[in-house]
Amino acid sequence: MKRRSLLALGPAAVLAGGLASCSVKDNTSPSGGSSSGSGSVSGDITFLTFETPNLNAAYWDAAIKRVTDKNPGIKVKKLVSPTADGRTDYAKQLLQSGQFPDVMIAVSPAGFAEAGNLYAWQPAELSAFVFPTANPIKGKYYQLPANTQTIPPIYYNKKVFTDAGIAATPKTWADLLDASSKLKAKGITPFVTGGGKDGFASSMILAGLVSVDIYGKTPDWLTQRRADKVKFSDANFVAVLAKFADLASKGYIDKAAVSRDYASTEQAFLDQKGAMYPMGNWFASSADGKHPFDIGIFNFPTSDGSLVVPAYTGGGMIVSAKAKSLDAAKAFALAFQTDKAQLDASVKSDGLFPAIKGYQLPTDVGPVFKAGYDLYTEGVQKNAVVHTFRWETADDGLLPGMADKVDQAAEDLTTGRKSPADAAAFLDSEWAKAS
Amino acid sequence: MVADVTTPSTPVTGTGGGSRPRIRKRRRPVLPRVWHFLSFGAPGVLIYLCLVVAPIAISFGYSLTNYNPFNPPIKYVGLRNYNLLLHDQEFHTALKVTTILTLIVVIVPNVVGLLIALLLDKRGWLYNALRGVFFTPVILSSVVVSVIWTRLLDSEGPVNEALRGLGVHSPPGWLSDPDFALYSLASIVCWQQLGFCVVVYLAGLQGVPQELQEAAAIDGAGPFRRFRAVTWPLLAPALTINTVVMLISAFKMYDYVKVITNGGPGAGTTATIAFDVLATGFDSNHVGYASAMAIIMLLTVAVVTAIVLRLLQRREIDL
Repeated sequence: MKRRSLLALGPAAVLAGGLASCSVKDNTSPSGGSSSGSGSVSGDITFLTFETPNLNAAYWDAAIKRVTDKNPGIKVKKLVSPTADGRTDYAKQLLQSGQFPDVMIAVSPAGFAEAGNLYAWQPAELSAFVFPTANPIKGKYYQLPANTQTIPPIYYNKKVFTDAGIAATPKTWADLLDASSKLKAKGITPFVTGGGKDGFASSMILAGLVSVDIYGKTPDWLTQRRADKVKFSDANFVAVLAKFADLASKGYIDKAAVSRDYASTEQAFLDQKGAMYPMGNWFASSADGKHPFDIGIFNFPTSDGSLVVPAYTGGGMIVSAKAKSLDAAKAFALAFQTDKAQLDASVKSDGLFPAIKGYQLPTDVGPVFKAGYDLYTEGVQKNAVVHTFRWETADDGLLPGMADKVDQAAEDLTTGRKSPADAAAFLDSEWAKAS
Repeated sequence: MVADVTTPSTPVTGTGGGSRPRIRKRRRPVLPRVWHFLSFGAPGVLIYLCLVVAPIAISFGYSLTNYNPFNPPIKYVGLRNYNLLLHDQEFHTALKVTTILTLIVVIVPNVVGLLIALLLDKRGWLYNALRGVFFTPVILSSVVVSVIWTRLLDSEGPVNEALRGLGVHSPPGWLSDPDFALYSLASIVCWQQLGFCVVVYLAGLQGVPQELQEAAAIDGAGPFRRFRAVTWPLLAPALTINTVVMLISAFKMYDYVKVITNGGPGAGTTATIAFDVLATGFDSNHVGYASAMAIIMLLTVAVVTAIVLRLLQRREIDL
């Protein structure tokens, strides 16, 4: 509930951004206010990045240069994770070998923070962020809450929907089943999902279902799970697992897709191998590219049609508590996260929703991104945003290693290897081991 | 090491017959021998101690604790981790998966490799080229091989498209069907390891004396009989090498699993012990528990390898 009340403050900041534009740093104007842009801090720091086709070396180099140009005293040595998905594991390895970077981006703070390896941001330092109290770990804030991602809205092929006689996008679970039935009758696989080495692609629908059905009613469900007040094998959770299993048993999810990695999954949707693609809003950057069909987006349907928008705010930088130049590391992180050009680039390259006060979207964002952003904004306005199951990273998140178990449970439900009750028991058992 | 050297006895001239010759023992100084040993053996021993023995000892130490680098402090828990492993269904599944995988990877490349080696044991440019073809997969990175086969065995990849072209309406989900995934994984490993077995058997075949084959042929032995009585016994060292190498590589398999299936589909269908060790240690951060798994894995590999090696070497001697 606290999360909802916090998010309720969001519209004032997000929607009235233009009026309050005092936090986003524009390249063209001198920075001021916080320490982030003082330009007086100096020191050598290491910065762990990761590369993807969108976020390539040139992207990071340009972003670093923008900050160091304004803070000439800061010298940055860029480190690159061997794999994009394995950046948190790589940070663990660097920590173990005494090479923990001074600044890291989009690395989960869980574990690092509890062990005292991360700097805890002070409230005054987070004044530029829309949700400064997102993702607390033992009451402190370690990761800059730089952006929000809605996970998962459902992208769909507009032409296929029209051809199948689906007049409106589904709002209720019954609507979704009805649409799936019509698509199936036309010989179209309703959902495109994945798996393989990118397990998260197999659990997207399950993440959406738990978020809207469980978190929609009990936002702190996972906190209660940590306190052993609820279990995965409780009737309401098993019912959600059963809904997911039902999709697979009806053939609405391709069982063979559980071995398909993320890149192939995205390509499968773009190749029109299925009608709907539940995925994080980062897909918008691809969806706004060139395709032979129009892509639409709708919120994950709920049982009764009420509005619930699963989202995750975080993903920003963390700073080592033992950085030799801690002030330089902090200043770099804050300047990087509030730099207008950097925020614009993250919007266009990675489809992110910057959670920085005063930030305004570039005028040339694509229609799919804009539609997704509008859905999120509506969720914020109506106080309907909840955490996304499996993607949380703080005190109210899954225990380390459990996200993989959720993916495995989703795959077992998809292939029919486990019943909903068995999958729930499996999750409880793995939770006990992870505790 | 024998320390004493016995000098040859020399009868003393003029001594009465029947008296035992006097044996004189001479002890070489110890210090030069120690220095000799240290100068040659110490670097190797030191490297072995640092890179093999010490990590094993440290791992064993961790296995007796609840070590989690992200949840200090470390507490000594005795044999609790080992006790938990006895009842850990996931570990038992990993043990089963590893055993099946090992059996396939030891048997299939050995049998097929031997057959191919027999076919290629001829002279000529074609046979040389074919040897190169069979050996090529061995020099490829396991990750590259894994990525290639993942694409080939995709539900809509070339293999299934070919099957559909041949009229198979529902080709198998090679990597997505829990009933197939482990065997698909094993097949990929066999495909890459096959070249190694072929080369080792070819080397063994080069060492079979032609005279023995000819003698057997003169005695009326047919090709099968010649293989059974002459070739096969002389290939015993090659069999030993192939079996032990395949055994060890299969037991510690991680890379193929990580890239191709990530241990799935679902929970543990293709997760080997090595995969579970790394997932438990680095994803779940339970380093103490993962260390106990690693120690069990080490003991299993060591014992099984020792037994197999002993049996095969005894067979070599018997033959």
